[in-house]
Amino acid sequence: MKTKFLSLAVLSAVVGFSAASLTAQPSFSGPMPSTKPVQRADLRRAAYFDRIDEVLTWRAGLAKPGDPLITDMGVIVAKLARREDAERCSRSVIALMKEPGSGPFWMFPTTCIAYLGRGQLTPEAQAAIRTAWRTTLQLRGDTENHWAMYYTSLYLMSELYPDEPPGAWYSGKSSAANLAEAREYLIHWMDLATTIGQGEFNPTHYIGEYAIPMLYLATWAKNPAMRVRGHMMLDWLLADHASTTLRGVLRGPNARTDDTSLVERWNALASFFSWIMFGNTPPTAAYGGWGIYFAAVAKDYELPEVIYRIATDRDADYVQRDLKRTRRRWRNSDVSMAPIYKTSYMRADYAVGSYQGGISDPIQAHVWDVTWAVADPRGVHNTMFSMHPISSAYDMQMYFTELPDQMIKGVAKEGKPSYDTPDKLLGSSRFEQVFQDLDTVIALYAIPPGTRFPHINGFISGDLVGLTQDGSGWIFARGGDTYLAYRPLAPHTMEPMMKYKSMWTGERTASTDQRLVSPHLNNGTIVQAASVSEFKDFAAFQTAIRALPLKVKLDPTPTVTFKTLRGKTVTCTYGAAPVVDGKKIDYAAWKLFQGPYLNAERDSRRLTITHGALERVLDFNTLTITDRVKP
Amino acid sequence: MMKIKSLLLSCALGTLLTGFASLQAADATAPAHDIYLCATISKNYVIGSKLVTNSGVYRRDAEGAFQHFGVNFPFVLNIAFDPRDRRRCYAVCINGVLQSTDGGVTWGIGNSWDMTEAKDVCIDPNLPDHVYLALPDGVAVTTDRGATWVRQEKGLPERGKYTQTIRVDRTKAGRVFAGCEAGIYLTENGAKSWCRVFPASQTVTDIQQSPHDPKLWYATTQAEGLQVSRDGGATWRKVAAIPTAEAIYNIAFDPTDARRAAISSWVYGVFTTEDGGQTWVERNVGLPADHTAFRVGIDPGNGRLFVSLYREAMLTSDDFGRSWRGVASLEGATVYNYVFVPKPAP
Repeated sequence: MKTKFLSLAVLSAVVGFSAASLTAQPSFSGPMPSTKPVQRADLRRAAYFDRIDEVLTWRAGLAKPGDPLITDMGVIVAKLARREDAERCSRSVIALMKEPGSGPFWMFPTTCIAYLGRGQLTPEAQAAIRTAWRTTLQLRGDTENHWAMYYTSLYLMSELYPDEPPGAWYSGKSSAANLAEAREYLIHWMDLATTIGQGEFNPTHYIGEYAIPMLYLATWAKNPAMRVRGHMMLDWLLADHASTTLRGVLRGPNARTDDTSLVERWNALASFFSWIMFGNTPPTAAYGGWGIYFAAVAKDYELPEVIYRIATDRDADYVQRDLKRTRRRWRNSDVSMAPIYKTSYMRADYAVGSYQGGISDPIQAHVWDVTWAVADPRGVHNTMFSMHPISSAYDMQMYFTELPDQMIKGVAKEGKPSYDTPDKLLGSSRFEQVFQDLDTVIALYAIPPGTRFPHINGFISGDLVGLTQDGSGWIFARGGDTYLAYRPLAPHTMEPMMKYKSMWTGERTASTDQRLVSPHLNNGTIVQAASVSEFKDFAAFQTAIRALPLKVKLDPTPTVTFKTLRGKTVTCTYGAAPVVDGKKIDYAAWKLFQGPYLNAERDSRRLTITHGALERVLDFNTLTITDRVKP
Repeated sequence: MMKIKSLLLSCALGTLLTGFASLQAADATAPAHDIYLCATISKNYVIGSKLVTNSGVYRRDAEGAFQHFGVNFPFVLNIAFDPRDRRRCYAVCINGVLQSTDGGVTWGIGNSWDMTEAKDVCIDPNLPDHVYLALPDGVAVTTDRGATWVRQEKGLPERGKYTQTIRVDRTKAGRVFAGCEAGIYLTENGAKSWCRVFPASQTVTDIQQSPHDPKLWYATTQAEGLQVSRDGGATWRKVAAIPTAEAIYNIAFDPTDARRAAISSWVYGVFTTEDGGQTWVERNVGLPADHTAFRVGIDPGNGRLFVSLYREAMLTSDDFGRSWRGVASLEGATVYNYVFVPKPAP
C-alpha cells in the first residue's frame, strides 16, 4: 500500500520529543485541572492565554541556545509567535527550505511560518519559502483532512503572493487559479459538512487537521467571506467537540482513532483541544505535537461562551443525535458516501456513543463504546466495547485506489500495526450492526464463513474493579462511578492483551486489560450502563440487570429482545431496523444535529448552538454568526 | 527488504546483481526505444516528509542505467508522450494529471480539484490532441492537449465506474477501452458514449492490444482472471489456464515475438506464454516465495522481460522468466509502469 495513506504524523511528532522535555510541560504532568466552569469571561480569557503561552514557552524552549539552526518548524513557529529570535529563525527557515517536505503536513506549518514571519523573517527567508512553493510539487493526499490542510495552505499562500503567473507556483497555475481552485474545494467541503455531515467525524487526532486550517482561514484570509467561513467552521468543529466530550475526553464513536487512544481515551490530540479551549482536561505529551500550530495563532480566536459551557457546564443527562457520513467510497459500494447515524448519551458519570455499524473508514473507525469519567484520565483505560476484527482487501479497496494485495501488508508498516491482527480492537466491520437506546447498546454480528478473523473481540479494561463473570451470563464491573453490565451472546474466553509501545515498530508490551474472544459467526454483545448513585450497591445493580427480560436467538439470524434498565423494550434483528417499544427506528428522519445543545436540519447549512439562554447560530447560507441571549 | 536481500544473496552475485550497463553492453545494436519507468522508491516516505529518495519517472540512459528525471514525486503511475512532440507529456499521479511541454523539465497540475488519484493515461495516436484519463470515479478527456479536462462518462454506470486502466485502439481514432470496476467499457466515438463489452465483478486491472495483431486484446482482472478477445475487443473469453481466485495485475506483449506475452500477479507471480496463448507457464523460480509481482514489461528492442516486486526490486530476465536477476539501482522500488517510446528519428 502506498505510504500516502499514512498521515498519522501526529504520533511521530509526539514520540519525537524526549522524556526530559516532558518535564517542562506543567499542564501535562501537573495536577488534574478543575472541571468546573469559570464564570467570569475575563478570567476564562486570561486562563486561555496562559495555556497558549504555556505551549509557546515549552516549544520555543526546545531550541538549544548554542545551536545555530533550528530544525523543528514547530519551534520556529513558537518563536515567531513570541516574536523572538527572528534572526536565527530566518537562518533556519532558509536551511529548511532547501529540503522542503511534500504534502499538506509540510504545507500548513510552512504557511504558518510565512504568515507569522511577516515583519520578522528576513527577505531572504521569506524568499526561500516562496521558492520552495515554486519548485517543490506538493502532494494533495487522499483524505479530507489532507485536502483541508492542502487547500487552506494553497489558498492563504496564493493570497499572500497574489497576481503571480503559473510559473511561480509548483502547481503550474497562477495565483488566481490556485485561489479559485482552493476556494471552490473548501466551500465544497463546508457544504458537505453542513448539509449531510462531516466525513472524518469526531476524530481523536485528526481534529487538529481540521481545526488548525480553519483557524488559519479565520485569522489570515484576506477575503472576508472566507475568513468568516473559517471562523464558522472552527466554531462548528469545536461545538461538536464540546458536545461529544466527557470532562474533556473524546469518546466513541470516532471516524478515526488509533490503537492507543481507543482504550486510553484521553491520550489523543483531541484532549489538547479540550485543554486549550475548555481547560477541563490535561493536554497530552508535547501538547499533542501538532498543538503548537494551533496555539501559535489561537489568541486571534475567542471561543464562544455557549460552546465553552456545553463542554463544561452540564446539569442534565442528554441525548445528541447527529448525521455524519463515511469517507468517500470509490468502489465496492452502492453509494459514494454512506450516512452515519450517530447517537450520544451523556451523563455526568459516563457517556455512551455509537453509530449503526458498517465501515465509516477503512482502518481506524471505532463504532461504539461506553466510556466512564475518572478523576484523572491519564493512563486510564476507561472504556468498554466489542467489535469484529475484520481484515479485508475488498473493504480497503472501497476507500483506497489501490490494487488489492499490497494494502494489508503495507498498512501494518505504516503506523497502523494492528490492522491485520486477530486481537485488534480498532476498526469497523460490514458484519456489525449496532443500536443504542440511552445507556443500552446492542451490537449484533453475522460474520460469513470464510471471513478472515471470524470472531468478535470485547475490550475488558484492566481498570475495571469488581469484574465478575456471573452465572446468569452477564459480566459485571465498575468503572469510576459507573456500573457496567456486559452480556456476550455466545460462548467466549478471556485472553490477556498486549498493548502497542510503538505504532511504527509494532512493538508490544503486556497490558492488564483482557480481550473477550467469542469465536462464533452469529454473535452479539449487550452493554448496559448505570450510575453508581442509582443503586444501593453493586449487588443491587447486578440484581436489577439479572431481572431484565432478555431473549436471544442467534441462528439463522441474530435477534435480541431486551428490556433495558430504562424500561424500554428493544428488539434488534441483524439486517432489520431496530424496534423500540414497538416502533421502528426511522433513520431517514435523522437530523444533522438534534439535541439540547446542537440542532441543525439536514441540508440546512445552519447550526444552532444553545446552552441555557445563550444561543449562537452559524448560518452558511448568509455567512452570518448570530448571538443572542434568550429572555 | 529482507526478501530481496535474501533473494540477491541466494544468487551468484557476480552474475545476478547486475546493473543495466552490462545488460546494455550485451545488446548488439542500440535500442530503438527509450524505456521509462514510473517508479516509487519510498524508503518509508510519508506525506509531508522530505523526499529522501527519487521517485516518479526514470529513463534508461545511453549506458543502460536508469536515471531519474523530471519532478521527484511519489506515486507517478504512468506517463504518456505525444507522438508528434515528445516534449509534451502527461503523467498520472495522486494529484491527478501532471503535464509538461518541455520534456519533463517543468510540470504543472492539469486537472481541477474534483479529479484526483488518476490511475492511467493514454493518448490517441490518431488524434494526439485527445488524451484519456482513468479516474477512480470515471473517465476524463482532453481534446485540447490538456488545456481542459472534461468528464466523458455517458454509458458508464453511476457506481462501478472506478477506472483502473484506459487504452486506445491504435487502428481507429476515438476507439477506447476503459477497464472499470463493473467491467470493460468501449467507446467508438471518443468517449462521447460508452457501452459495456465485458462484465466484471471486481476491477479490471489492465487492457492491452497486441502489437502484432490489432484484433488481439488481453485484459487482466481482479476476479475474472485473464480475458482474451480476438475480435478487437467486441467479445471476451476467459483464459482457462490462468487461475481466478486471486488478482492478475497486468499483461505485456512481446513486440519482438508474436507468440510471447507475460502476466503479473501478486499471489501467482509471473506467467508467460510462448505459443500465442495456447499454454501459460509459471516463471517464479528465483522470485520470492510470496512473489509480490506487481508489474511486468517487455523490452521491445530485445524481448527482455522485466518484473517489479512491490517495494523490493526490479528484476530482469533474458530467457523470458526462466531465470531472473536484480537491477541494483532499483532496489526497494515499485515500478507502476514500463513505458516504451520509439526513439525520435535522428
